[in-house]
Amino acid sequence: MNALRRHRILNTIWGAPKGWRGTVVSVNHSDIGKRFVIAAFGFFAIGGVLAMLIRAQLATPGSAFVGPDIYNQLFTMHGSIMMFLFAIPMFEGLALYMLPKMLGSRDMAFPRLSAYGWWCYLFGGTILIASMVFGVAPDGGWFMYTPLSSKAYTPGINADVWLLGITFVEISAISAAIEITVSVLKLRAPGMRLDRMPLFAWYLLITALMMIVAFPPLILGSILLEVERAFDWPFFDPARGGSPLLWQHLFWLFGHPEVYIIFLPAAGVISTVLPVLARTRMLGYGWIVAALLSLAFLSFGLWVHHMFTTGIPHMALGFFSAASALVALPTAVQVFAWIGTLWNGRPELKLPMLYLLGFFVVFVIGGMTGVMLAMVPFDLQAHDTHFVVAHLHYVLIGGFVFPMLAGAYYWLPHFTGRTRDELLGKTTFWLIFVGFNVTFFMMHLTGLLGMRRRVHIYPEEAGWTLLNLVSSVGSFVMAFGFALFAIDVALHVHYARRRRRNPWTAGTLEWAMPVPTPAYNIASLPTVISREPLADAPALASALSRGEGHLGEPRRGWRETMAVDTTTGAIDHIVVLPGNTHLPIVTAAATGCFFLCLLAGRYWLSLLPVAGVVVLGLRWAWLLDWRRDIGPLPIGRGEVAPIHREAAGAPGWWGSVFLLVADGTALASLLFGYAFLWVIAPNWPPPERIEGGLAAGLVAAAAGSAGTLLARRCLADGAAGLMEAASRMAVAAAAAQLVTILALMALGVTAQPVPQAHAYAACSWALLAYALLHATIAMLCMGFGRARIAAGHVSPRRTLDLRVARLFSDYSTATLAIVLVCLLAPSVMS
Amino acid sequence: MRLLARISAGLILWAFGFSLLYALQGTGCAYGWEDASLFGTTMLRWILVATWLLLVAACLTLLRLTRAASSDFERRVTLATVLAGAGTMLITGSPVALTSACA
Repeated sequence: MNALRRHRILNTIWGAPKGWRGTVVSVNHSDIGKRFVIAAFGFFAIGGVLAMLIRAQLATPGSAFVGPDIYNQLFTMHGSIMMFLFAIPMFEGLALYMLPKMLGSRDMAFPRLSAYGWWCYLFGGTILIASMVFGVAPDGGWFMYTPLSSKAYTPGINADVWLLGITFVEISAISAAIEITVSVLKLRAPGMRLDRMPLFAWYLLITALMMIVAFPPLILGSILLEVERAFDWPFFDPARGGSPLLWQHLFWLFGHPEVYIIFLPAAGVISTVLPVLARTRMLGYGWIVAALLSLAFLSFGLWVHHMFTTGIPHMALGFFSAASALVALPTAVQVFAWIGTLWNGRPELKLPMLYLLGFFVVFVIGGMTGVMLAMVPFDLQAHDTHFVVAHLHYVLIGGFVFPMLAGAYYWLPHFTGRTRDELLGKTTFWLIFVGFNVTFFMMHLTGLLGMRRRVHIYPEEAGWTLLNLVSSVGSFVMAFGFALFAIDVALHVHYARRRRRNPWTAGTLEWAMPVPTPAYNIASLPTVISREPLADAPALASALSRGEGHLGEPRRGWRETMAVDTTTGAIDHIVVLPGNTHLPIVTAAATGCFFLCLLAGRYWLSLLPVAGVVVLGLRWAWLLDWRRDIGPLPIGRGEVAPIHREAAGAPGWWGSVFLLVADGTALASLLFGYAFLWVIAPNWPPPERIEGGLAAGLVAAAAGSAGTLLARRCLADGAAGLMEAASRMAVAAAAAQLVTILALMALGVTAQPVPQAHAYAACSWALLAYALLHATIAMLCMGFGRARIAAGHVSPRRTLDLRVARLFSDYSTATLAIVLVCLLAPSVMS
Repeated sequence: MRLLARISAGLILWAFGFSLLYALQGTGCAYGWEDASLFGTTMLRWILVATWLLLVAACLTLLRLTRAASSDFERRVTLATVLAGAGTMLITGSPVALTSACA
């Protein structure tokens, strides 16, 4: 087969139809990645316009440009858009587009999940933006502190829009995190050991793992606050045993790691672009990985520094102040590695490098003010002033926007296959750099002079007028810079000259494919023996086009790519990915209907879209259709490998594991909340505790354990080829889970106080609901397993469905045990 | 996956220890351990300091993981993260000996 014929066949297999139909059904990672990037930039533009309005308001004292109600919506939406609709999705888009190409793969591990995440992001973002049009946008600040966001002080739907809209959008973040984690761990080119991965993949792997652990506390907090607002369960009401500080803990458990979740992918861009433009290799690969890990862990030990002024004891302040200062060290390791690389190489001052130099200046200033704020005495003075606003913008724009702009100019030729001159880009840089510093450096000063954040007016005699005016002028200069960037990119896309495929002479695999890239990325997969395969073998791209790598011969219309051993990169199995489908958009629409029903207060009606999502989810899994054993297949270069349905460590299994890690973090956060209220909140112990319920609890525990044992037996029988027995065990396991559900419901109805009575009762019901939900999921999994056995999808080789079902069953029973101990301990011990 | 677990072990132990100290401090203050005197200081202080020192020692024992490393990369990263975990445990836990516990 010649290269052209191979290209045509692979394009047919991996491509999407033209026009709207293609837009709706495509699951290709390049399409989804580009959409994320473009939409995120669109939301950035909206957030930027809001920032302009804020600065217009603050340009003069006592301004009547907008009133306090509108101003509250402006700053809340500005922050929420920039954090949730711009920064995270922008890096998700880059990751979805770039990761498979850098790893020498043809797509991500779960293409339909990528597409589902995209539609959730688009629909959720649209709900948030539409709320501004209707004048009901969130107005309690981007961190939605209670009691301001509780029903008593925000009676309208403004806070509900935030809680539900952001949770909807966060589905896409969790989806992307699981997708990225499994793709990096499993879907790499053969031979690409963990220590041969491009550093960018390490950054994204660690970021994705952080997201899996960081986002569940926010999602849980949003659910609890929404339940309090909708049904009066008093999680945050101190009069009934709740605490507003619980919201702050849950929010910042997410919120501080979020800063590093935003920074690390951008740092990955720096570690990719900088050595190429310095014409050398990155120094300290192992030290950077160690610094990344340290940064990731430490970032979870800082959240209380946002709460230094809430009156917590000195010792707790000390813990978090020390951790906040120490986090500068791993960041410094990276900065010194970058400086060392520049020193070691022969840097070229091309456009991406200009943005990297801008990053160094801005980010180091932001880091220094961060260390200042980590010191408790200083923070007590500067807390909630414009000094903090200046600091966070120096960190986020310096640490994310400047590197991403460098990345944009570096990879634009990859997106478009074109290269043009840099004059407009340099003008853009100077407008943004100067505008940014003029805007935000002034805020350090207004903050130190005592200007609080979020004030919509200030008196003339405060002495902040000139600084604010200069700051506002700077912000408009910066806005011109971003507008010019958009024009520059548009000119590049339409008018630049077509150029060769690797204009920077880079060594990573994304440049080993034609640009703009075809839907299948690479005609055959390379064998990787170093960190920079293209630098070591400049002719690699041509060899891969000729089909001299793995999977060079398309077969059966399958979308094939390789999975490898996590550590060694040895060939593990072939992954056959699903093709284009309407399912992601339809499922996202059903999910959106659920959130809209909640927003409209139609709680019973919301069960309808939930049922729809369950049916669509089962359909989603059912379509992975394998009714016969295939056995090992040739993969080129004289080697063979099984397909993923017949392999032990298939991506679907790993995806389920990481989903359960996120799920477990949500439970851990709920348990933390329960313990926190019990120990810290006022009005405890509760006036009324659980009474009885031991018998129902024991029945639930026994049935749950039986369900798990039966699920394990089902898998063992399936693996042994005893399909009749496996089928019976699946039915019995599902029945056992049904008994668990009924016993838990009996426990709640007969023994628990009503959830509105006290935060204790509300937490108990929340724990019970968690256990009920997971018993239901385990039951559905076993029912699904039974149906798959009956339809011939399971054989001794093909046990993936049963292994996943067992995983959920095990998890359900483990969490059931924890929940029962928490529920029944007060009754047993009293 | 074992490689990832080994190179993260020192930091996982720090995360556990940091959470444990924070939980003990909150629980001790809530249940009056600060009011019970023991050998010249409070029971809460003894518990916290002993836990802290044990955690630092436990972090250091993880250095033996470097001997089991299968490559230079793994050895270097494990060494760096174990030392980072132990150093961070030492510094972030030091307020148990230096500051007031419940005020």
